[in-house]
Amino acid sequence: MKIYDDYKDHADFLTIYIREAHPIDEWRMKSNEKDRDDVCYVQPKTLAQRVAIANDFTKRFKFGLPFGIDDMSNAANDAYAAWPERLYIIDENGHISYKGGNGPFKYDPKEVRAWLAQKFGEVKHAQTTTAATQESR
Amino acid sequence: MNPIFKWTLISLAVLLIAAYVALSFMAGGPKDAFQMLRFALPYMHRGNLKVGDNAPDATLVALDGDTRFQLRQHLAGRPLVLVFGSFT
Repeated sequence: MKIYDDYKDHADFLTIYIREAHPIDEWRMKSNEKDRDDVCYVQPKTLAQRVAIANDFTKRFKFGLPFGIDDMSNAANDAYAAWPERLYIIDENGHISYKGGNGPFKYDPKEVRAWLAQKFGEVKHAQTTTAATQESR
Repeated sequence: MNPIFKWTLISLAVLLIAAYVALSFMAGGPKDAFQMLRFALPYMHRGNLKVGDNAPDATLVALDGDTRFQLRQHLAGRPLVLVFGSFT
């Protein structure tokens, strides 16, 4: 989200919601279980189910990025080999300019930031007031 | 049975078991390892896209569940960052 805030005046962003990575009826993750994060869903079998989970996600995190959901043909997922998570950048001419690694271990938003910084300049953030006050003492 | 063939089979079996034990350790248990092999491996691949390729189009659905649009409709003369993922 921070990258979006920093570069939304220069680039467009689109989140594409794909098949679940760790539904409870497939490769479930203990960290998703009810008493921790309450992220327990079965793998959607219908578009309505996938849309419902996507809506839960956007509401829970107040997710404001442009959003699209892969339909049950999983065409976007297949075309981009996206599962479980991946980042791409498409340039102004519609060509792949950056292809990120497969998540979770090779999924690296810093690479996207570096690409955008190289093209549009680095976005620096001002120091917090507390840090600035401590430095001046 | 040919002894070389027998020992090759035994060595292979031991290697497979060791690999499964290592995977279980990484995945958090033998059940997790099995689920990973069954549900994750078929979907985890590099894909054929390379830098420079034309970005494929796909039909996407909006959060209202009804409105459909094309991925490439979001190309508007600026770079487009695609973030693929899911809630779980």
